[in-house]
Amino acid sequence: MIKSDRILGLVTILVALAYIASAFQIQASFLTDPVGSKTFPILIGAVAALCGLVIFARPDPDPEWPEMSGWLRLALATAVMIGYAYGLKPFGFVLTTALAGAALSWMIQPRIVAAIVTGVGLSAILYAIFKFLLGLGLKPWPAALTG
Amino acid sequence: MDLLSNLALGFSVALSPYTLMLAVIGCFAGTIVGALPGLGPSNGVAIMIPLAFTLGLDATASLVLLTSVYYGAMYGGRISSILLNIPGDEPALMTTLDGYPMAKQGRAGDALVISGVASFVGAFFATIGLMLLAPVLARVAYLFGPAEYFALYLLAFATLGGMASKNQAKAALASCLGLGIAMIGLDTTTGMPRFTFGNMHLMDGIDFLVAIVGLFAVAEVFFFIESHGKSSAIGVKLDKITIPLRDLKNSTVAMIRSTVIGFVAGVLPGAGASLGSFLAYMSEKSLGRGGVPMGTGNPRGVAAPEAGNNAAAGGALVPMLTLGVPGSGTTAVLLALLMTLNITPGPTLFTDRPDVVWGLIASLLIANVVLLIMNVPLVKVFVKVLMVPPWVLLPGVTMVSFVGIYSLTGSYFDLLLMVGFGVLGYVLRKLDVPTVPVILGILLGNSMEEALRRAMVLSDGDWTYLFSSGIAIGLWVAAVAGFVAPIFLRQFLKKPAIAPADKIVD
Amino acid sequence: MTIKLVRALGTSAIISVVAATSAWATECIAPANAGGGWDFTCRQIGKLLYDLDLVDSPVQVTNMAGAGGGLAFAHVVAERNNDEDLIVAASSATTTRLAQNAFGGATADQVRFVGAIGADPGVIVVAADSPFQTLGDMVEAIKADPGSVAFAGGSAAGGFDHMKPLQVLKAGGFTDIRKIKYIAVDGGADAITQTIGGFTQAMTGDMSEIVGFLKSGEVRALAVLTEERVPGFEQIPTAREQGFDVVAVNWRGLYVPKGISDEKFEEWGQKLQAVADSAEWKETMVANGLAPFTKVGGDFQGWIDGVIADTVELSKEIGVIQ
Repeated sequence: MIKSDRILGLVTILVALAYIASAFQIQASFLTDPVGSKTFPILIGAVAALCGLVIFARPDPDPEWPEMSGWLRLALATAVMIGYAYGLKPFGFVLTTALAGAALSWMIQPRIVAAIVTGVGLSAILYAIFKFLLGLGLKPWPAALTG
Repeated sequence: MDLLSNLALGFSVALSPYTLMLAVIGCFAGTIVGALPGLGPSNGVAIMIPLAFTLGLDATASLVLLTSVYYGAMYGGRISSILLNIPGDEPALMTTLDGYPMAKQGRAGDALVISGVASFVGAFFATIGLMLLAPVLARVAYLFGPAEYFALYLLAFATLGGMASKNQAKAALASCLGLGIAMIGLDTTTGMPRFTFGNMHLMDGIDFLVAIVGLFAVAEVFFFIESHGKSSAIGVKLDKITIPLRDLKNSTVAMIRSTVIGFVAGVLPGAGASLGSFLAYMSEKSLGRGGVPMGTGNPRGVAAPEAGNNAAAGGALVPMLTLGVPGSGTTAVLLALLMTLNITPGPTLFTDRPDVVWGLIASLLIANVVLLIMNVPLVKVFVKVLMVPPWVLLPGVTMVSFVGIYSLTGSYFDLLLMVGFGVLGYVLRKLDVPTVPVILGILLGNSMEEALRRAMVLSDGDWTYLFSSGIAIGLWVAAVAGFVAPIFLRQFLKKPAIAPADKIVD
Repeated sequence: MTIKLVRALGTSAIISVVAATSAWATECIAPANAGGGWDFTCRQIGKLLYDLDLVDSPVQVTNMAGAGGGLAFAHVVAERNNDEDLIVAASSATTTRLAQNAFGGATADQVRFVGAIGADPGVIVVAADSPFQTLGDMVEAIKADPGSVAFAGGSAAGGFDHMKPLQVLKAGGFTDIRKIKYIAVDGGADAITQTIGGFTQAMTGDMSEIVGFLKSGEVRALAVLTEERVPGFEQIPTAREQGFDVVAVNWRGLYVPKGISDEKFEEWGQKLQAVADSAEWKETMVANGLAPFTKVGGDFQGWIDGVIADTVELSKEIGVIQ
């Protein structure tokens, strides 16, 4: 089994090289200064690549990675959050928050009733706090319903 | 005697039952805003400005309200740092390092009391410093040009090596990551886009709040889900809450030293509270003695950054009042308020409007005392957060984070970035790559590059300009020492993690 | 008391970007961070609108920093085009960037400019101990050794503050503008600090930014870039009377979304005029070194178009854009 840190080192080097390559593409303004737009990013990329090499050459012991089921739960949690991010604007705060809150709650403690109560409760309480106490202009309901 | 009569003038305008009530309201609101991830002191103060107008407050009363919120938020930021490992705002970042381990050991109450007292010490003495030295200190800003600022930022990054538990390359990688992210957006010097890939959302760069909330709050949720809460402070059996006199006594030196460092960092317009608390923590790590190693729940590790960032908050008022230069986002909002009230900060403010200046100083002192009185008993309430079941608390934290970030620009793009940072934070922490340097890189990256480029413009590309003043050379020496010392010490001590000499018999 | 407080808290939304429309409050977008000129415009006009009972509830100020105002401009055009309760702070920086196509292809006719109610005169300032006594001294020094004088200013390279010394030098017969040293710092006060500290030899900015420092005697204004000397600051000579025919004033005003009704647009014009005519505004102008400059109503959009055309020409002449 290849050590995690070797992978980290390799990924770092690749990303750093891509970053440097991308830095060379930065358009130069004709009103330029002695250092220019590219130097600093290239420098950062170079140092990062060096760090990648060191990490690759001298890896630390592996951390304890989660089991397959653990990865699945994490992927699911990420998916819920991404869905929440996309849904917040078109579907309004109340519905999406209740759903996402319930889903996350269920992932932490798989009890369906408690999760639903948590989701709905959080949605209502947080809406009240944000709307009336902090005065954030959140839209509560889907745009399609309110026009 | 002048000073006392000035101060008397200040209290005569700032001390009335009405303003005291405003101070209490402001301190309370500020503490809450500070504790919520994503909402920091500058939001808190900005939210309060229309309120001040609605209530028809005069200049002094408005200042009392807003400075209470400002200091309240500075106090409040530590709460979520300690309890949940989520910095409430960026200056509270360093408080997570020892505060959260203390919470995991059941000592959340101690950590909150110590940091509360440290906040008071930092803020109180910074206010005294502001009172005694402001006109003199204003001149310090004249000594810092681009070369000096560059060396100062370099000093911060050079000491980062000591951050990582074992592998310095990982700390360096983390700061590169932060610096690299900071480069995204329009290049301020030439106006050319960098690493935006034509995406409008990236034009303005990545807000450090998105990174902070992602790397800490979202990553924390991932960690909890993966480990079933084994390594979390939530639900830990809490020790009885007492005043930890012994720890307070042991961290007295830390508080005083950090207050001085934080105050100086605050006075420099280019540094600010985050750098203040960072440098305070790092200097405590290398100079302080006593207790378990820093980073594993040492009370000095919560005292130092909290004294540092609150002192910096006070220090930041010096350039704001005497030069009109806002050293931080919050002082920029305060500056806006002053200008709306037709008070123009600048070198003549102290002589033109003594009522305003001394009223402000008096209200800072009042806010501090109110906060100390309010914060210590409230610790009992704060720690109750850890008794909320995780299946309610963590979804709640996630939702608060989402709304906080959503309110920045109202775009789903920032939310996606935040989730991305959450995934990144999870992987980095798994691989033992510290996340604090990432934030520091994002916070300071642009300023550091700009300082370098300005210096090179002024010197026509002559690199020796970077070493052309005594201050610059001093900072370079400190930076090199800070970088080399941990490597040297590690060789010397052989055993990296726990230095036996550091341990006192308890 | 408590009820009032809670209600006020409710209306105090800074973050109403989230709301597509908020029926109960006027919003003023300052397309920059707090503390700058646009923020000042929003807060000052917002406060006076409320104090003069021209709006029902306090105007909420939203700071939408990004791309030098470009983000706010794009936001208004794309998402708030019909919002009748929205005003946006504008200034010469807005037109300069529109002229230099720095807003990603956006054009001035995508919004409606309501008017300007004050102008911040451009100034060129040196530290009190500087050897330069007149603008001529400085121009001669630059002609002799272009690297000897560095300017600090609050706008990005090629921006409004940068163009001021370039225009002066051009008027003085020096055209190799790439040789002029200019560093962009975070605002006028920062530029002054760097100049007093001796890191730069001169500061280019607006009158409002230097008022306090003039009073304390730490800086000396070499020239003000107006047609006549500014009331209250008669001791500062104009560039024109020193033989450099350069006028650069930073007007402060508002624009509103394009899609609002003509009646509403007229109404904003009347409200802005009322603010301009108020005694409080006059007081504010004197305190902040603003010169009277009121242009509200129908011909303002035409005036803006003229300014933009002039700026395009000037930027090309100087070489800031190709």
